[in-house]
Amino acid sequence: MKCKKCNSSSALIILRKKDLYCRECFLANVTHKFRSSIGKNKILGKADNVLICLSGKEGSTVLLDLINNALSLDNHKKLRITPIFLHLCENYETIKNVIEQCQKYNYDLYSPHISEYVQSKSHIPIVNSLPIVNNELIEEYNNMQNSMLPTVKDDFITNIKRTLYIRYAKLLNCKYIFTGETTTTLATKLLVNLAIGRGSQVQSDVGFLDSRDMEIKIIRPMKDISEEELKLYINSKNLKVNDKQTSKENEHTSLQTVISTFVSSLQENFPSTISTICKTADKIGLQDECDNERHNMCVICQSILKPDEKAISALDATSISKIVSLRKHTDSAIDVDMEKNVINSTIFPYIHNRLCYACSRNYAEIKQSKIPSYIIETQK
Amino acid sequence: MLLSIDEGITGYRDDSLETVKQNRDDYEMPLKILSYKDLYGWTMDEIVAQIGRKNNCTFCGVFRRQALDRGAAMLNVKCIATGHNADDIAETVLMNVLRGDIARLKRCTAITTGSEGTIPRVKPLKYTYEKEIVMYAHYKKLVYFSTECVFAPNAYRGHARALLKDMEKIRPSCIMDIIYSGETMSIKEEVSLPTQRLCIRCNFVSSQEVCKACVLLEGLNKGLPKLGIGKSSKVKKLLDEYNTRQNNLETAVKDLEDCNITDKKTSKTCKNISNGFKQKECNATNCCTNKTERNVEKNNEKLQTVLDKYSLENNSQVKLDEEDSDDSEIKHQDEDDTCSSSCGRLGVGF
Repeated sequence: MKCKKCNSSSALIILRKKDLYCRECFLANVTHKFRSSIGKNKILGKADNVLICLSGKEGSTVLLDLINNALSLDNHKKLRITPIFLHLCENYETIKNVIEQCQKYNYDLYSPHISEYVQSKSHIPIVNSLPIVNNELIEEYNNMQNSMLPTVKDDFITNIKRTLYIRYAKLLNCKYIFTGETTTTLATKLLVNLAIGRGSQVQSDVGFLDSRDMEIKIIRPMKDISEEELKLYINSKNLKVNDKQTSKENEHTSLQTVISTFVSSLQENFPSTISTICKTADKIGLQDECDNERHNMCVICQSILKPDEKAISALDATSISKIVSLRKHTDSAIDVDMEKNVINSTIFPYIHNRLCYACSRNYAEIKQSKIPSYIIETQK
Repeated sequence: MLLSIDEGITGYRDDSLETVKQNRDDYEMPLKILSYKDLYGWTMDEIVAQIGRKNNCTFCGVFRRQALDRGAAMLNVKCIATGHNADDIAETVLMNVLRGDIARLKRCTAITTGSEGTIPRVKPLKYTYEKEIVMYAHYKKLVYFSTECVFAPNAYRGHARALLKDMEKIRPSCIMDIIYSGETMSIKEEVSLPTQRLCIRCNFVSSQEVCKACVLLEGLNKGLPKLGIGKSSKVKKLLDEYNTRQNNLETAVKDLEDCNITDKKTSKTCKNISNGFKQKECNATNCCTNKTERNVEKNNEKLQTVLDKYSLENNSQVKLDEEDSDDSEIKHQDEDDTCSSSCGRLGVGF
């Protein structure tokens, strides 16, 4: 039972079913992955304000602990950031746990309510307390959620959170945001993105750096850490995780749950699945990154809107299919272009104008669009 | 023109070929059938017997692609059209992501594929869902064959397929969305993609020095069926190992043959001399004498020439054997030592 790295005989931790590590080497390994991913990309400057987004689940619990350790080093290896902690409150149970977690390290926590999304502007919330919310806002937010199918809702919530993180980062004077996504969550996210048509945005959604916003950058420092390592870390350090997950939805009501189940079960039989998916994600890039023109951005997810390409794509195929299905049998000639414009406004509203493909699809599926009006009316 | 490839899968391809022949008659188009047996000397059934039920899709797919290219070249056509539908393309995109195959991921969503020097392929049904095709065939009363390949249950593609079917139940537009994602995806510049060149053996397009089909075929013929499965960089290493083993084998066999020749000589004398008791002793090493008997029968002429050639060496060989003889069985037989020791020990020694 010897540790693979230091050859001491107190190896208690088994990774990947065959590698033995002692507790110290394991913790050092995880910390190293965290620090190297930040350092490798040379993003942070000196003593920058960084907004750390906590959800109370495993990933952010470990993120909190790693940051605390990194800040408490005395030597030149100390992490030079000023952390500001944020938690988006969705229900009052989780928020108490997260406040407790932060108190353990003596950190202050801002916790606005997620229904703030409904308004176009927000204020800095009071530190370390439950959010004071307007019931009207909550109702409007809930109506919006209920008008969406589960798949659309999941995707939309991801974008809501992103928008709110950026909003608060600007309010709290931070240039960077850290989120606690790990290999498993990112692998699932990649497949979900593919399935809803966000293939061109993979690098921003799943990669290390999300630089869609002009001023704020979102960083995922834990993208190389696996779920297995997370669980072992939490056990080793006796950290408390928010156990009350969001109510177990019925499996297979949304694409996200289907894909998540698929990835975990495939990983059982083919242990290299998740790491392969992550490597694939690293190789996919953005189209035309060094374009000098400023393109329009999607108002929901801030991705670049590319005008129609010359080559036919699935979008055109769907439009044509719809035109042909709606046409009466007797019509002979088709003026495809004219009809396309009419059709596009129903199946792909605002496509390439205000919304990207995926957001446009989602928008079309939402009943009587309950999305806050300020979003669609935003001009760039 | 119709082109069909017979992989030699009983219960699948032989039945579907009947349907293809029916199509040829119904549509009055010429049909060409190429078979793996003719092109490569192996049917899929034989290949599966060698490699097992997993990883056989690799063989079938690689061989089929080359077979299609050859068939198209024979028929002198400008373009090959295949019937891949939207579900197939979506499955392929998912599978390439799961396998980490970036080069294929980039190419698989294009409608026409092909490059310099190859006949382009087109997938005109790329945007039609499988369900639409089934409905079309149903309403138009088309003759078709719908059983799946007998080896399909063990294929990796099955996982991607299962996922796609589950997703389709929840959100049917996901198939089109996956294809759209594949089309709008781009690869980072710093990622190295394989370059296209020609195989040094068969001159078909290849990304490596020796194309995959040649590697797989060599593996099958040499009894190393896993040669083509796994990393292409290890192929050379495996082949070198195989060759050194073969060389060792050859030298050992050569030694054996030299001794066998002496056996033939001595066995003759042995047979002549040994009767009854002596024969029994000699027959103690039964297998050997049987062999030598057969050898004698077959190589009598050769034997004569060899006897002449090796007469001197034979004596020395026999002496060596006498000295080395340890077998307790034959120690006390001095006259027959030459025979039994050389027969028995050499047979065992190798």
